[in-house]
Amino acid sequence: MADVAEQGQKSREPGLAKPQTFSADDESALRETLKRCSPSTIEAAIAFRKTRDPEKVPTVVIGVIERFVEPDIRPKLREGDDELRLVEDLGVDSLTMMEIVILVEDVLQMQINNDELRNLRTVGDIKTFIDCKIRGLPLPKPTRHLPVEQIAAVMPIQPPFLFLNEASIGGQGATAKYKITGQEFFLQGHFKDNPVMPASMMLEALGQLGVLALIEGIIPSEDGRPVDPKTIFFTSCEGVRCHRVCKPGDVLTLSIKPKRAKMPLATFEGTIRVGQEKAAIAEEITLTFGYAEAVATPPNAEATGSGASSGNAEAGQNPAPGASEAAAFTPLRELPA
Amino acid sequence: METSGFHRNRILVFSLMPKVYLTGIGFITSIGNDVATVARSLRELRHGIEVYAPFQKPEIPVKVAAPVKGFQTDSVDCEDWTYPERYRVKREVLRGMGPNTLYAYCAMQQAIEDAKLSEADWSNDETGLYAASGGSPYLLGHLMQKMHTQGVMRCSPLGIVAAIAGTVNFNLVAHFKIKGASTGFSSACASSSHAAGFAYDEIALGRQKRMFVVGAEDGNLDSILPFAGMRALSLQTDPAKASRPFDVARDGFVGTGGATVLVLESEDEVARRGVQPYCELAGWGQASDGHNVAISHPEGSGLRLAMERALKATGVSPEEVDYINAHATSTPIGDVSEAKAIHAIFSPSGARPLVSSTKALTGHGLSLAGAMETGFCALALRDGFIPGSANITEVDPACADLAIPQKTEEKQARVVLNNSSGFGGANVSLVLKRV
Repeated sequence: MADVAEQGQKSREPGLAKPQTFSADDESALRETLKRCSPSTIEAAIAFRKTRDPEKVPTVVIGVIERFVEPDIRPKLREGDDELRLVEDLGVDSLTMMEIVILVEDVLQMQINNDELRNLRTVGDIKTFIDCKIRGLPLPKPTRHLPVEQIAAVMPIQPPFLFLNEASIGGQGATAKYKITGQEFFLQGHFKDNPVMPASMMLEALGQLGVLALIEGIIPSEDGRPVDPKTIFFTSCEGVRCHRVCKPGDVLTLSIKPKRAKMPLATFEGTIRVGQEKAAIAEEITLTFGYAEAVATPPNAEATGSGASSGNAEAGQNPAPGASEAAAFTPLRELPA
Repeated sequence: METSGFHRNRILVFSLMPKVYLTGIGFITSIGNDVATVARSLRELRHGIEVYAPFQKPEIPVKVAAPVKGFQTDSVDCEDWTYPERYRVKREVLRGMGPNTLYAYCAMQQAIEDAKLSEADWSNDETGLYAASGGSPYLLGHLMQKMHTQGVMRCSPLGIVAAIAGTVNFNLVAHFKIKGASTGFSSACASSSHAAGFAYDEIALGRQKRMFVVGAEDGNLDSILPFAGMRALSLQTDPAKASRPFDVARDGFVGTGGATVLVLESEDEVARRGVQPYCELAGWGQASDGHNVAISHPEGSGLRLAMERALKATGVSPEEVDYINAHATSTPIGDVSEAKAIHAIFSPSGARPLVSSTKALTGHGLSLAGAMETGFCALALRDGFIPGSANITEVDPACADLAIPQKTEEKQARVVLNNSSGFGGANVSLVLKRV
């Protein structure tokens, strides 16, 4: 058994295998290994093995995942939604995850350690993870997942004005879901007999996700001090476009990515989708923030969550921001089709 | 009437323990994949032995085997396997199985259907499952080879679950959501008879109301050929002559695989559900040779004691036994030692139960044998026939005092014994009664 143990150790060395020549035998072995994957997966894998082109990797990874999920779930995967969750959406259990890993290791000739797997929760997590491994980049900070209780516990914004049901904070950005229940107080008047989520509330939700991301430390602190939740306020918004009317029953998938941050301002780009449909984008949402015991509140800032209301945007009228918003809130330019 | 100690014992046993009935059977065997086909094969003495393709190599002296039909499980990749259309097995279920487990999974579905059980009937605290299987040497070999050549982390995550000897109980208990007692038995060719015996105990002792008894084997090259090394396999090339228990020219056993699932239930459950059982499993006995790791005791001492205990436990006298389904595997030593054990028990009283070995038709199913042949006995009791001991040209003189029917007899047995013996000299005898 000594031999086995030694061999096992060797195979656990992280990182890439050295590029090797790719013979006809290797190709037929690879085709056999991937025989239950789509032709495009096989071609991408062959191309990767020949060229080591990292651009081929996502196709291979998705193709391998697809091979292991039940056939009726495969169309979901083909839609290209990086937010698809392995367990909840694709029915991938931890053993299937191991099968996926073993096949990916085999095909891409790389090693993945058990502890690296723990934080992979979505298809996007896997894509990013493999991409970093292949390119030799440092791995992204593990994504953390916050249920609604945990969100409410840290946020200065509270129900009934909290529009995040669950959130994931990763190194590259944050995502969240919010289901429009129909019970939201503002839907009573927006609109008469026609409940529609106000665009301003959709932006509010994106802003809230920014607040959560700041509190959860998405912007590295210079001296290790945490962001003080009481210091975060809405500052400005640029390039907002709405593409889709959102109604009760719709699940908003919110995502933000930090664009730039320097105390006291952090700027994010944000998008909202419902399923695969784009609902709204904001090129820039800027929040002001301060670290604990170093509060900085610029004038004219409005607390995120106090209601940046421009509720009739969806109705096709130009928004008429209130006085307190005028300085900060960029009018909505594009309206739903 | 004088009450002897024997009869007092009988009264005591009957008054304390609930009766145990066999209410359902599932078969995936070389002679049929359902109860009706197996019953016809037994009656008509149709064997399941064939010239087995994987053995047709010059370096393999063994040529025949009795593989199951309708399944293709040759690949190490379970997703390559094919099986009869009536069964649906999801990939995530299949990946933890060896061929023997797939057979058992299918036989389990049949047995449940046959016994008319609902999920509420079988998935509860009072229903258990005992299984016996040699595991999958084939998959284990593949797994070990992969581990040595490609590294430990490249082995299939469920390879071990699929390959080791407990694979049948692991899989069936989990997939059928069994909540009661479960374990596996590994006394080689006595395993599933042990499983049936201890399952009987679970019900008779009031611990469980229902038990599934499962025997299963791959029955492929890797599970059969290792027996060639001990010269236990028949080298015959004619499938119709290879397995001939009690024949003077027998030269070893023929390997088989498949699965059998038996449903055992307490008399209360049988009454509550209003089902008609095949027969009663009245009790059992076991004993060991204490002699040799692989060879039967020349006088069949352990098997003799096992039968004596089975009769005593059930209050059955030797004269009451109508039929013995012998373990007789068609090996020169084994068949004679069993014949001697039977002779020692029955001849003193002049009793001459019919003795046959259905292994002439199926070959030897190793861990599967006990459960499969208990199923055969149940069919004989229900349908009123005694399967003949096929393929005999000339009875071995050493077995000549046994009443060995060479053709099937249309006769209603009341009490049947099913014998099984395994490596290490483990012996089990089960007693079945007509209902």
